[in-house]
Amino acid sequence: MKWLHNILEVFREELHNSIFDEGVIVFFFVVPLLYPLLYAYLYGNETVREVPTVVVDLANSTTSREFLRKVDATADVEIVGHCADMQEAKDLIHRRKAHCLIYIPVEFDYALMEGRQAVVELYSDMGSMLYYKAVLASCTEVSLAMNQDIKTQRLVGATEKQASTFAYPIKYEYVPMFNTQSGFATFLIPAVLVMVIQQTMVLGIGMMAGEETEKKRRGILEPHVIGEKPIEMLFGKSAAYLAIYSVISAYVFCLVPHWFHLIQIGKWTDLVAFLFPYLLACLFFSMTLSSIAYNREVFIIMFVFVSVPLLFISGISWPTCSVPEFWKVVSWLFPSTFGINGYVKINSMGAVLRDVKPELIGLWVQTFVYGITAWLLYYRSYGKHLKDIIEVAEERLQARWADYL
Amino acid sequence: MNSETTEKKGVWRVVQREVARMLSQPVYVFCMVVAPLIGFLFFTTLMGKGLPMDIPVGVVDEDNTSITRQVLRNLDAFQQTAIVKQYANFGEAREAMQQGKIYAFYYIPEGTTELALSSKQPTVSFYTNAAYLIPASLEYRDMKTMAELASGAIARETLYAKGYADSQVMGILQPIKMEMHAISNPGLNYSQYLSNILLPAMLMLLIFQVTIYSIHSEVKEGTSKHWLELADNNIYKALAGKLLPQLLVWMVMGATYLVLLYAYWDFPLKSGLWPMALASLLLIVVSQAFGVFLCEALPSLRWALSIATLWGVLSFPISGFSFPQIAFPAPLKALSYLFPLRHYYLIYVDQALNGLPLHYSWVNYAALLVFLALPLLFPNRLKKCLLEYQYTR
Repeated sequence: MKWLHNILEVFREELHNSIFDEGVIVFFFVVPLLYPLLYAYLYGNETVREVPTVVVDLANSTTSREFLRKVDATADVEIVGHCADMQEAKDLIHRRKAHCLIYIPVEFDYALMEGRQAVVELYSDMGSMLYYKAVLASCTEVSLAMNQDIKTQRLVGATEKQASTFAYPIKYEYVPMFNTQSGFATFLIPAVLVMVIQQTMVLGIGMMAGEETEKKRRGILEPHVIGEKPIEMLFGKSAAYLAIYSVISAYVFCLVPHWFHLIQIGKWTDLVAFLFPYLLACLFFSMTLSSIAYNREVFIIMFVFVSVPLLFISGISWPTCSVPEFWKVVSWLFPSTFGINGYVKINSMGAVLRDVKPELIGLWVQTFVYGITAWLLYYRSYGKHLKDIIEVAEERLQARWADYL
Repeated sequence: MNSETTEKKGVWRVVQREVARMLSQPVYVFCMVVAPLIGFLFFTTLMGKGLPMDIPVGVVDEDNTSITRQVLRNLDAFQQTAIVKQYANFGEAREAMQQGKIYAFYYIPEGTTELALSSKQPTVSFYTNAAYLIPASLEYRDMKTMAELASGAIARETLYAKGYADSQVMGILQPIKMEMHAISNPGLNYSQYLSNILLPAMLMLLIFQVTIYSIHSEVKEGTSKHWLELADNNIYKALAGKLLPQLLVWMVMGATYLVLLYAYWDFPLKSGLWPMALASLLLIVVSQAFGVFLCEALPSLRWALSIATLWGVLSFPISGFSFPQIAFPAPLKALSYLFPLRHYYLIYVDQALNGLPLHYSWVNYAALLVFLALPLLFPNRLKKCLLEYQYTR
């Protein structure tokens, strides 16, 4: 059982290294603990309420005032000022006192009296799409209710029900599923949680690999670490990372959503069965990548900026059906793509394991492929010729450096 | 200048040295040229025309009459919607949604037509998967328009038949109508909405990190003393010599994203180019300054980099370009002003989107200038660190 002993030895060593290295602690523990909290706190309000809105009410009639009063009473819009003209109102928007504008023209009342269609104009500062949504939804809702009454008056002899049926022979009902208030936190946080796992793993493991490369370069790597077989190194190290990230995952995927009352409707057995290959895929992906980490810090500056494109490529915000073919293929290289979609489906949409079959297959294929590449790269790193390889690279770098000076 | 040393020392010599460093380490080329270009290219190609087309939608038509089929054909005609499949019942459709095959589905219960014909106002339901927010809200819009059109069409015919005049018909069907104007983005172009901030933000993040790496890695490699010596032991000269060649590269990258945004895509630029060019230049220089400031505050490569990463990544949401700042909890609302990107975003809204006179945004330009002064806080700390600090790990 020499091999098992070796694996355990590497496992112990790697666990020790991770827990006692300040830099690695930041990525393995601090970031996964802190980031989800920050994001959940930031998006805690789910959606924007009481968007400050100014009003230009040139009609100034009972009906227009009733309309505005009702709009003000909705949750999404707050009327913060009444202006005499458009210029004054726009100025308030420009000075950021308001984000939307409701304009009721003089004709409003005449149109209503004459039985024509009265138009209310809405303007929105497009600094955020949510302002637009808020003012449009609130005003439409109020106008629909008021239209109901007006229609009853206009269709002489009709009851309220008849008037409604007449204008809308079929009623349409809108049901947003799995995120009933169309909230930001419910939509984005699950993706961020999955992403945090992959990114911190890449950075932490990259940092540890960089550390080893640095030590090798300086010739101070502990001899017994070099002595193991590559496959034993691979299993020992991955077991150590897996142990750490099992704990982290429990926190990230169970405690954080629980604390912030985020949606959690998945079956926990399905969740575990899905997250296990996700962790494995991330692990071997990170270990494969880490072979190019030639010092401790290089991964931080090379890999952090990728997080944002990865979030977009995963399909959580920009729909997968509209992602160009090329980027779709690129996205399959990253565990986060499958991870985010699968996790969202199980956790937020209550899917069961067979619903996420494509994602599950993707993750197992990645685990397998990246496992092999990691093993091959470990074979290269921890094989006999390693020292020579590093030395040659080092000399080459030095020589190039000297040329320029 | 000192005549004997001008040949060997001074800012110019540091510049030469820095250029050599940048060329000799692939990480610089990657992070300063390759990475920003990949990022720009990514967002340029990802969102194409700015709105997702043909979002897959399902149908459960339990009624299945000529009228319901007509309604569904109308729906399919919308550019953003593509009806991909009919499902036998609600459960099947929900399952397809859970598998991610469709983003929304219509549910037309049995007897809908009959109820409609006997004026009993049946309900047709539209379910969207709001876990995917963007497609869900786009689908909602299409659904809404369709509902208005479909209902309107039937009722209009009846009213005309009864002899109502054209102007009266809409007055009866929809007495009060909302007319929405989205200032500067009438098509609700998502690419415009996101790229205008995402591109500069990515560049900013990279500048934070490269600046810190280029300063603190000197300490780590033990070359910092040499660097200072070349700059006459003057920390300002040393920093100027190091950051100038980097600034040049960043400016080319900044110009690249400006060209992409305002020439290639032709996004609104109501203020003309200069206010945004100034904002971009300021964002670049401020990012460098912020990097230097972190190096001064934290005399360790990994800590400076970690904090820069935190600040940089947090900049994206806290700038308020997607989820508006007015919806943040109060402490974060205040904190957001400590992020340069927040000011860049506000300038962008004022200038590019709304085309206001410069003085409306002066506070934000001034705020960026304040960030620029950050490195002046304790330069000697950095100098000391360059001279004495021993890289331990």
